[in-house]
Amino acid sequence: MGNAGKYLPRFLGAVALVILSAVALNYVVDPLQLFRPARVFAAMYSSDSRLQGAGLIRSQQFDAVFMGTSLALHYRQSDIDRHLGVRSLKLTMTGSNSREQGFVLAAALERRPGRVIWQMDDWIFRDAPEIDADRYLPADLYRRNARGIASYLFGGAMARESLWILARSIPPLRPLVARLTNGVMFTFSIPDVDDINVLRPDFDVPGFYNAGRAMAAFARLTDPARSRHLTEGYDYDAMVRNFERDAADLIAGNPDVKFDIFFTPYSILQFVAMRDASPATLKIVYDFSAYAAQRLLQFPNVTLHDFREGSTITAT
Amino acid sequence: MLFNSYPFIFLFLPVALAGYFLSSRLGSLAPAIWLALASLAFYSVSNGQFVALLVGSIAFNYAIGWLLIAWPLSPGPRYAALTAGVAGDLAVLGYFKYAGFFAANLNALFSTGLAINVLLPVGISFYTFTQIAFLVDAYRGNVARYALPHYALFVTYFPHLIAGPILHHRDMIPQFERAEARRPDPHLILCGLIIFGIGLFKKTCLADGIQPLVSLAFGPNTPTFDQAWLGALAYTFQLYFDFSGYSDMAIGISLMFGIFLPLNFNSPYKATSIIDFWRRWHMTLSQFLRDYLYIPLGGNRRGPALRYVNLGITMVLGGLWHGAAWTFVIWGALHGTYLCVNHAWNRFGPTVAPRFARAADVAGFILTFLAVVVAWVFFRADNLPAAIDVLSRMADPSRIAFGRLEIAQAVFIAIHAAIAWFGPNTQAVMGYDHANRKVGEGLSGWKMRPRFIYATAVVLAFGILGIRQHSEFIYFRF
Repeated sequence: MGNAGKYLPRFLGAVALVILSAVALNYVVDPLQLFRPARVFAAMYSSDSRLQGAGLIRSQQFDAVFMGTSLALHYRQSDIDRHLGVRSLKLTMTGSNSREQGFVLAAALERRPGRVIWQMDDWIFRDAPEIDADRYLPADLYRRNARGIASYLFGGAMARESLWILARSIPPLRPLVARLTNGVMFTFSIPDVDDINVLRPDFDVPGFYNAGRAMAAFARLTDPARSRHLTEGYDYDAMVRNFERDAADLIAGNPDVKFDIFFTPYSILQFVAMRDASPATLKIVYDFSAYAAQRLLQFPNVTLHDFREGSTITAT
Repeated sequence: MLFNSYPFIFLFLPVALAGYFLSSRLGSLAPAIWLALASLAFYSVSNGQFVALLVGSIAFNYAIGWLLIAWPLSPGPRYAALTAGVAGDLAVLGYFKYAGFFAANLNALFSTGLAINVLLPVGISFYTFTQIAFLVDAYRGNVARYALPHYALFVTYFPHLIAGPILHHRDMIPQFERAEARRPDPHLILCGLIIFGIGLFKKTCLADGIQPLVSLAFGPNTPTFDQAWLGALAYTFQLYFDFSGYSDMAIGISLMFGIFLPLNFNSPYKATSIIDFWRRWHMTLSQFLRDYLYIPLGGNRRGPALRYVNLGITMVLGGLWHGAAWTFVIWGALHGTYLCVNHAWNRFGPTVAPRFARAADVAGFILTFLAVVVAWVFFRADNLPAAIDVLSRMADPSRIAFGRLEIAQAVFIAIHAAIAWFGPNTQAVMGYDHANRKVGEGLSGWKMRPRFIYATAVVLAFGILGIRQHSEFIYFRF
């Protein structure tokens, strides 16, 4: 490279050209439907619900929001719509904490839905760091600020998804691309918004949820090598603080929105395992649960549904 | 600050480069002062609370070095000064890195209730080692007297400060003193950008791309046989592309300043023996451990038995250098054992006939790679029971998932493996010759030159496009 002075500007120009091409591709295809609903290209949805939520809030029409963790896998938007007579948007996130849930709900509430259905448990309030320290949730994309939009448009992974969606929109390529879309290389693999964050239709529910599996899970949980995980992160004061910040403040700040909050029916074995590993931790869970229930009932716009009382669910 | 971040690439690096070359008009020391200050600024962005510790460490070691180099001390006080210097360095490193580990073990043994939580200053293992080498060489009389700005720059130099390569003062400080390094050289800037681009691509596209698969083995779920292997292999390649990517980026950045950094990787997964592996993996650490630990312990000078003991001690301490946990001790001990077996085989094993040499190389390559993968399980696992759990899954073929998803994941890992096993490494692509301070010479006459330039521009662009938030380098925690 003897004539580097000549090649250096060309090199930098080529770098800029490739980057700007990716930006243009992301803007035109817009996989998250952040700028416009999908029309020219087929709508595809990501299995990364923390990312996808930012796009769903912008692109979907809804008057109710459903929030929760992976325990909400069993509910489809269409089920909720049919039973409650609403047009819902499911924004549940696997393994999400209260800060994530509160933040995403606040972003969704800017679209003025009238109702929130919130699957809640003590677990989400344990470890809930500030949203900008959360490496999994693209907070700036929800805020739609310059950094968020730039990270979306300048994203190479997003350009790969854009290219994939573009290829899928070309009729001769569609069957091949659809076959290759398996969620490993390309996360925008869901063609129907109703299929986001739900169990696959072929999922063997009785094979997965049964007494044998529950006992095996119990044995794994109580294994000395793992049982300490049961007690990690439980601090009553911190949980109360997180609850006030992420749930109570949000509910109080949206008095016109009806909040249907339900406590999830965990298996009784979960609590037996916790009692055996650390009785003090179990006490924290009970105390916090009592605090949260009493506090929620103080809000006139909250209806509380406690499915933990359903012993036919929790003890079988 | 991360190399794989927009503020670094588009703001810090151009400003640091411009300031470096412009400040050369102010005198020969000005660029070194500028670069040292820029390095401290780089460090302070995410480690502000530890800047004083870094500056204090530099002052302490420079003062001890000055005593050893410039003062006419008799042997006794000289040795005492060296001991004080090394002990001071190790005491600081020990407090920040090992106090919590020590307390946890005391607690486990005697139920003392003692708990120490100390935040680890990023880069402390690296800058402590570079300065210990400086003190030992000063004691041996192998060090010329350096100006404080050059010494401070040698320690803080931002391309290596956080995660190496571990620099040697004899290699670096003369380069900082060279007048040519203070003038912008388009050839070095272009080569530096290309090497930086290759490293960035390794980090953001390869290491970060494969990272989600690591949780197959090390995540919360119990893996099957194939998932445990996929997760362990994913980590094997993630670690390589992450750390060698960082090292490439450091070399590329430094080259833009006209400074040649030593190589840290030489296609380690192509190694045909464990001895060969350690000549290719984290080469600057291997050299440090050899020169300042293994050889002072006696090396191979006191017979074969003590040689194996010395090897074992060196590798266990090398493991402990990586982190204060029993998993790292076991990882080091395992590699120490591998090396002893390898040396014993070389000494006592049969000689391979030339016609079987190729087959022996292939067998050695496979065995070495598997041994390295097994050891990485300890390196990655959160604790010993977790490591043993993963290894037991890897040894239990009775539970196999191998569905469509696992096949796709295996293909993804195979792509990474093919790059690591069959692709040329960065120094081969770029003709990087650290010893002779040459780079890109072989490309001059290449007819495909424009195509090469544009291809590497695409690699850099892909590396930039692959940048994600919150993607630290694995070696930052060491």
